[in-house]
Amino acid sequence: MTALSRRNFLKSGTAFAGLTVLVSNSPALLATDSELHHGIGPCLRFSSEGLPILCVPTPDMGQGMMTTAAQIIAEELDLELSAVSVEFLPFVGVIDENGVAQDGDLIQGAGGSHSTMTLWPALRKTSAYVRALFIEAAAQQWAVSSNSLFTDDGYVINRKTGAQLSFGELDDAVQTVSLDKQTIELKPIKDFKVVGKDATNVAARDIVTGEPVFASDIEVPGMLHAAIRRCPHLNGKIVSFNKGTIEQLLGVVAVEKIDRYPEEREEFRVLSDGVAVIAKTYWQARKAADALEIEWDGDISKDDSTDLILEKCNALLKNGEFKQVQKRGDVDAAFERADKTIDVTYTHPSWAHTCIEPHNCIADVKTDTAEIWVGHQTMSRPANIAKKFAGIDAAKVTGHFYRMGTGFGRKYVEDFVAEAVILSKRVRAPVKVTWSREDEIEQDYPNHMGAYRVRAAIDDKGDLSGWHIKTALDTGRDWVARDFPANTMDNTLGEVARVPNNISRGAWRGPSHNTGAWVVQSALNEAAYAAGRDPLEFLVALYKQTGTVRAPNWPNMDIDFRRHAAMLEKVASESGYGKKMPSGWGHGIAVHHTFVGTCAHVIELEMVGDNDYRVHKVTSAIDCGLAVNPLGVRAQVESGIMDGLCAAKYGNLVFENGVPVTNNFDSYRKMRIDEAPAVVDVHIMDFGDTDPKGTGEISLPPLIPALTNAIFAASRKRVRTLPISENL
Amino acid sequence: MINLTINGIQRSFEGDEEMPLLWHLREDAGLKGTKFGCGIGQCGACTVHVDGEATRSCSVPMASLNGTAITTIEGLADGDNLHPVQEAWLEEDVPQCGYCQAGQITATAAFLKNTPNPTDDDINEGITNICRCGTYFRIRKAIKRAAENMQNA
Ligand code: FES
Ligand code: FES
Repeated sequence: MTALSRRNFLKSGTAFAGLTVLVSNSPALLATDSELHHGIGPCLRFSSEGLPILCVPTPDMGQGMMTTAAQIIAEELDLELSAVSVEFLPFVGVIDENGVAQDGDLIQGAGGSHSTMTLWPALRKTSAYVRALFIEAAAQQWAVSSNSLFTDDGYVINRKTGAQLSFGELDDAVQTVSLDKQTIELKPIKDFKVVGKDATNVAARDIVTGEPVFASDIEVPGMLHAAIRRCPHLNGKIVSFNKGTIEQLLGVVAVEKIDRYPEEREEFRVLSDGVAVIAKTYWQARKAADALEIEWDGDISKDDSTDLILEKCNALLKNGEFKQVQKRGDVDAAFERADKTIDVTYTHPSWAHTCIEPHNCIADVKTDTAEIWVGHQTMSRPANIAKKFAGIDAAKVTGHFYRMGTGFGRKYVEDFVAEAVILSKRVRAPVKVTWSREDEIEQDYPNHMGAYRVRAAIDDKGDLSGWHIKTALDTGRDWVARDFPANTMDNTLGEVARVPNNISRGAWRGPSHNTGAWVVQSALNEAAYAAGRDPLEFLVALYKQTGTVRAPNWPNMDIDFRRHAAMLEKVASESGYGKKMPSGWGHGIAVHHTFVGTCAHVIELEMVGDNDYRVHKVTSAIDCGLAVNPLGVRAQVESGIMDGLCAAKYGNLVFENGVPVTNNFDSYRKMRIDEAPAVVDVHIMDFGDTDPKGTGEISLPPLIPALTNAIFAASRKRVRTLPISENL
Repeated sequence: MINLTINGIQRSFEGDEEMPLLWHLREDAGLKGTKFGCGIGQCGACTVHVDGEATRSCSVPMASLNGTAITTIEGLADGDNLHPVQEAWLEEDVPQCGYCQAGQITATAAFLKNTPNPTDDDINEGITNICRCGTYFRIRKAIKRAAENMQNA
């Protein structure tokens, strides 16, 4: 168990935080306890037939939270997952003193691989309280002591008489019962029947039969459709467009200009300048939008080309001004004393999110109220967007939430909701905004790009004795310059610089870590070879001696690096790392801690000619704390592996003179099944943790260095520039 | 006027014949299982069967569909009895976000009709849909499981 998770648990444990939202009658609640499923709180309700329905507070974008949260609720309620249905809860947070909607104790957002960890105490307590209420209600009904009763699979059962009442039958009786929340006991881990066991995706049957479970599948009465042409030039403007002609086209109801927001173009872009065509059907809107003739002014960003930005980053590394963000000991002395040194530069371009479900949202804005139908990574935000862009009191906004066809950090933001809100307010009707794939890539908030220079010193014993890292990124983000090993060993220096441009950046699965881990784990691999040591043995020794250190970056967890060593040893032994292989084959190994979890991989690959390769097998170990759903954890590791393999080999969002030009899957390449490894062998580590940590982003960052290290082992070619497909 | 059947039901269409089948399915026929992912025939999220052939419905105009029989994901099961490919998808717990899976399943159902006992190479060539969640490892297992179940049936 880590220090952080224990502290969090205790803190919420003493305050019984999970219940404050659920039992409060505060008028500030968007949806009060009494509205949400009577006295049993928001996470359980009954169908008209009296069957239990679990209500999950957190969005699901494929990371499996719907299933994981349902398992936690089912466990503490003593319900079998297969016997219940599961749905999303509406927003149940609070309005703060500034009129802003905020999460209550049930955090209703998904990001930073945090959902399971943060929901764990609150969901358990909420559910355990409800189970205790059912027992108490039955005890009162039967006039027996609650000690003589127990629950099993949705029933309260009298131990002596065998009499039983279903939870559904007790739904009314429970309304008059209340209990001291402080006395509620959580189930001991040894009694878990649902948590810790494989659970298949609770939405799987709906998905394989084509049920409408995504926001894009929703229709509301009287709904109009909007297709928007947004300025493809970064921070560009509209000069003119043929409004009159387009208004005459079949089905067109309105042609509306949308203004860049905020107006100051040096600020992070929320909305681009654009023209919305609103029509009766999507196809009419799309066709009319495509017929728009728009003159754009893209002058402001004409120098923003990928090649030029990366050139500037590399030039800066040679002779630019840098800011120190980490400094320990005397790095110059370490290099003077060094037996061997390496001095290497790594470069990578931007990646687009390419969320498989293009962004969409329906808004129905009335005079004082609004309704929103959307798949969004944070459920408090749509209410705040309606407030900001249509002046609706956040408490008067009703949100309906759906699965997301992936999110990866992109569906955390305002734009697609704001557009629907603005247009609905203008045309006084419900409006559905549907993005095209081109919109989704051109208007992305992509991953950062940039260049990194790493110098490593190796002493006469072959150990790492100095580390100097300089990062020149378009965002200026400093994670990689501050973090391992710059913060854990003696004689280090981390420095950062920024190359300004017009790109508005966002969170892409494992922000900063996704490329930072590549740089650090590749450079350490190079250092091991320079020291004449096997990379596995070199890394294991390094991590073993590091011990436990608090991360200098969010969420500032204590990291026990001896676990890293154990995980490296695990994947090495499971994969047969180091075994004799044919020429042209190689193993690569890497490990990395991302936010709240750690993953290690060994990749086994074979070179195909000089410039290509085939990944045959990936062996992985993940430390995600207590694994609530091992099957789901493995799915997330598999997903991160594919995402990493694809981004490393093909990921390249190309900007040319301020325009993202690789704007659909014909030019922005995604991997298909033919390049997926045939064998993926995932091991979930058991370090004895009693609380879960995180999973969704954890496996991707170490995948990329494991891959390039394997390419080196197989070919002696060191990939220092991504994407691999263009640089091998 | 275009006459066609969708999941066995006769329909006629009199609108803009340039409109891709995808939007007819989603907007006119109310069948939301078929998804929009790219609009250019690259991702396969919109895959349906046109006269039994796997077809990317975003790239087929209504004009070309007179007299055809369309099957979508909603028409694959036989009442409550799922298609063996759907069953295999559940057994292997394939779906993550799920958005691509209707297309993956319809593509696989057509593929297995022509290739009932596929090798890995057959799968690599025959199934080209994009899954942004990277469920390919489980998709491969599910395709093989479905093939096996169909042969034993
Ligand atoms: S939407 Fe038809 S292939 Fe992508
Ligand atoms: S399951 Fe999410 S895109 Fe395939």
